[in-house]
Amino acid sequence: MNQDAMQTRVGETIWRAVGLDRRRRPDSVRNALKRVGLPGVLMAALVLLGCAKHQETGRPETLILSGWNNYRLGEFSLATRDFEAAMKKAPQGGPEHLGALYGLATTWNLRRPGEDPDRAAQLFRQVIALAPTNDLAAWSWLALARMKAMPVAGESPELNAQVLAYQDVIDRFPFHSAGEEAFLFQQAARLETPDVDLTREVLAALERFIEIHPKSPWLSSAYGLVAHCCTVLNLPDKRFAAMLKASKAAEIDPLNPLQDLSAIYWQLATVAEFDLGDFALAREYYRRLIAEYPKEQRVFLAKQELKRMDEVEEGLRSQKSEVRSQDEKGK
Amino acid sequence: MNEDNPMANTQHPTPKASRIAKAWHFLRTYSALLVVSATFLWSVVAILMSRQTQAPADAKVVLRIGHWQLEAGVREAFDRMAQEYRKLHPEVYIIQDAIPEGTYGQWMTTQLMGGTAPDMMEVGLGLPYNVLLGFHSRYFLPLTASVNQPNPYNRGTDLEGVPWRKTYKDGMRNSYVEELQEYMLVPLAQFGIRAFYNKDLLKKLTGLDEAPGNYREFLRACETIKSRKDDRGRPYTPIAGSAYHVGMWEGFMCEPLTYGAVRRVDFNRDGAVGNDELFVGFKTGRIGFDFPPFSAKFRMLRELTEQMQAGFTGLGRDEAVFLFAQQRAVFITTGTWDAGSLQEQARGVFEVGVMEFPMPTRDDPEFGGIVEGPVYERPSSQFPFAITRTCKHPEVALDFLQFVGSQPGNQELNRIIGWIPAIAGTSLSPLLRAFEPNLEGIYGAMPVTLGGETIIKWQQLTSLFQVHQIGYEQLANEFAPFYLEHGPREYEELQRNRRRGMARDEQFLAGFRARLMTGQGLEAQSLQVKYRQMTSSRLLVPGLGAALLQRKLNEGTVTNAVGPYEFTPAALARVRERLQSKEAN
Repeated sequence: MNQDAMQTRVGETIWRAVGLDRRRRPDSVRNALKRVGLPGVLMAALVLLGCAKHQETGRPETLILSGWNNYRLGEFSLATRDFEAAMKKAPQGGPEHLGALYGLATTWNLRRPGEDPDRAAQLFRQVIALAPTNDLAAWSWLALARMKAMPVAGESPELNAQVLAYQDVIDRFPFHSAGEEAFLFQQAARLETPDVDLTREVLAALERFIEIHPKSPWLSSAYGLVAHCCTVLNLPDKRFAAMLKASKAAEIDPLNPLQDLSAIYWQLATVAEFDLGDFALAREYYRRLIAEYPKEQRVFLAKQELKRMDEVEEGLRSQKSEVRSQDEKGK
Repeated sequence: MNEDNPMANTQHPTPKASRIAKAWHFLRTYSALLVVSATFLWSVVAILMSRQTQAPADAKVVLRIGHWQLEAGVREAFDRMAQEYRKLHPEVYIIQDAIPEGTYGQWMTTQLMGGTAPDMMEVGLGLPYNVLLGFHSRYFLPLTASVNQPNPYNRGTDLEGVPWRKTYKDGMRNSYVEELQEYMLVPLAQFGIRAFYNKDLLKKLTGLDEAPGNYREFLRACETIKSRKDDRGRPYTPIAGSAYHVGMWEGFMCEPLTYGAVRRVDFNRDGAVGNDELFVGFKTGRIGFDFPPFSAKFRMLRELTEQMQAGFTGLGRDEAVFLFAQQRAVFITTGTWDAGSLQEQARGVFEVGVMEFPMPTRDDPEFGGIVEGPVYERPSSQFPFAITRTCKHPEVALDFLQFVGSQPGNQELNRIIGWIPAIAGTSLSPLLRAFEPNLEGIYGAMPVTLGGETIIKWQQLTSLFQVHQIGYEQLANEFAPFYLEHGPREYEELQRNRRRGMARDEQFLAGFRARLMTGQGLEAQSLQVKYRQMTSSRLLVPGLGAALLQRKLNEGTVTNAVGPYEFTPAALARVRERLQSKEAN
């Protein structure tokens, strides 16, 4: 039932409840008022006020902003109302109309509860049909692909459908941020299956991506995925190199206190120590962690590892001298 | 003629009687409505009048601050700080709403939803995080712009000109709400947990002037205390325990013993053990309940709970404090939030001492090989306040929070309460110096539950263990098969929950993307960085770690597998090569 029909029905029910029939003579109104008395009239007025249709005011761009604001506050019904109002007011196919359509589609797609993926998909396709080369069309394609990646009851969706949907975005917008994002999502989805051959394919695809998109803002994430592939494929040197590049390409938001490089230092140090056997490199990153993040939980562990590496080296040296002395004795 | 009422023709009441009858009829018909309306009107008038009487007539700006800290000194401290603030701003009057902890969540919700919330509110108690998150975005003002500016009340101090957030000992880490990408809170204190003791009673019963800092000596002192009796022949209790306090002893002394599990099962090498990693470790035979640090944790817990009064698990916080205040127990543990109250209760009766938790030393015959160091404490600021959107003078509310969040203001506020200031460069009372967090050390690594059933089973068994009805061996023998049998289902549910969370992240990121589409200049650039970081950390990466763990699970039970912090033979060979070439050079 739509909102207008619902309001009419609620109104009729209230009029009937208070004994009013609009078709009767005016004295029926008087009688009804007598029956319900003042409190009843006040209550009815309050109910009607609550049901009164919201007056959509403002320009389309203001309504779109308000729609997104409501969306972010989790007020999805209000967001829908704003986007619908903006759609009605904006010229068909204009930027505001597209913006409102995209907002409405996103709301129907991601509101919880009350999501309507079919309706959302239809609206996203409407954006694409109206302006196939527009930015919002790119994001709409990505949204359609992401809908395929949404788990149903917590279960992973089918990989093939995801891969194909992401490919749609990549083919249409290979150098758009939405296309690059789709590419990374596609590879990450493929990596969720712990399969060595598939991982090899993903690694090759990622290396091609890095080659073709050397200035992509997603470079750090791409190198991160390369490092993951190398973990699975047991390529420690390549893994370390990828991790290093990921850390160098990482964008740090200076306003976010939760974000720091300590985790990256820690990962680099441990890979250098245990997988590469490069103690000099490991020491460098452990020391950086200790110096730059002295309150970090891993500092104690880092100090223990520094000590351990000294002990391992010492042990190897003494082994070597033991062997040497045994050799000399043998001679 | 009235056909419906045959009496109408025979009786003619007087107009006055008729009016009374009508009034009576009206009252009978609408009595419930009238009672409700009258009560509502009364409450409105009462609230308005009580709010007006709390503020003086000449107050131009009245700000309310709501919190749940009913401990000794907090209300007094706010009143004193408000007085100090009024010296600088005579037109501002600050009133407190101190609400008990038990009802704070409901109170906060109704106040915020009803639009009658105080101007500043302490946030964090009584509501789940996702609800608080919604409240943050709907009802509180973001403070990012302000916390990146210097605090004007730090003028003349060594923090002058420093952005406010950087003047905090923890960099305002807990004030940042990542989901909103905004600083939302102003914390005003730091908390710490330590053991307290009755100095006079300790001296009387054991002859010791100070509490032993070493675990073995501590246990010896406890045994001596247990053997002593008061004038009425009642034995003394070494440690005042309760369901509330036992967790602190366990968390600070026993749990860190499990630190060694990091080297065995921290598969993603992030320096901590997740419950999924520990389960994979158990399932693949890499770790078990026979792991010495795990059994050590429970041996120590048994030794400590043996020093508590009988039936302590059925007692609440107040009962344990009462036992301590009545000088029937020598030791108790609690946080800085209770330190003032404890001292207050002991004033003039006995002297309260503060001590570090008595950890075993490296030469301890039982735990020496397991305790690798002191216990790590993450410094974090608490007692956080937010400014509500309904505040009529948000700039004044912010200014007051800057006043109490400045170096001198925060020091004074916490000096009065007896808490640890949150701002760097502030001084502490001698009692509180013992609470300075220890920034290097070991931490717990035994998150052995996965979900509903394993949590319940574990709680049941550990409760029996705490009251000495079962031993560690029985606990392990009963839990291990249950864990391995029910664990796979709960592990899968963990993964499903992670995937379910994707919808929320996707929802959040779509809203964020819309912001960056409309943003301009530097703001848009900053938003783009945040968007990419969050997309990567929340949507791209989480599935990968799970995939690696799944791979380990698929490989099944292993023997002699190389642990995450062990050298592979290849790596060791490379170390040897490097060493040789280094020495050759």
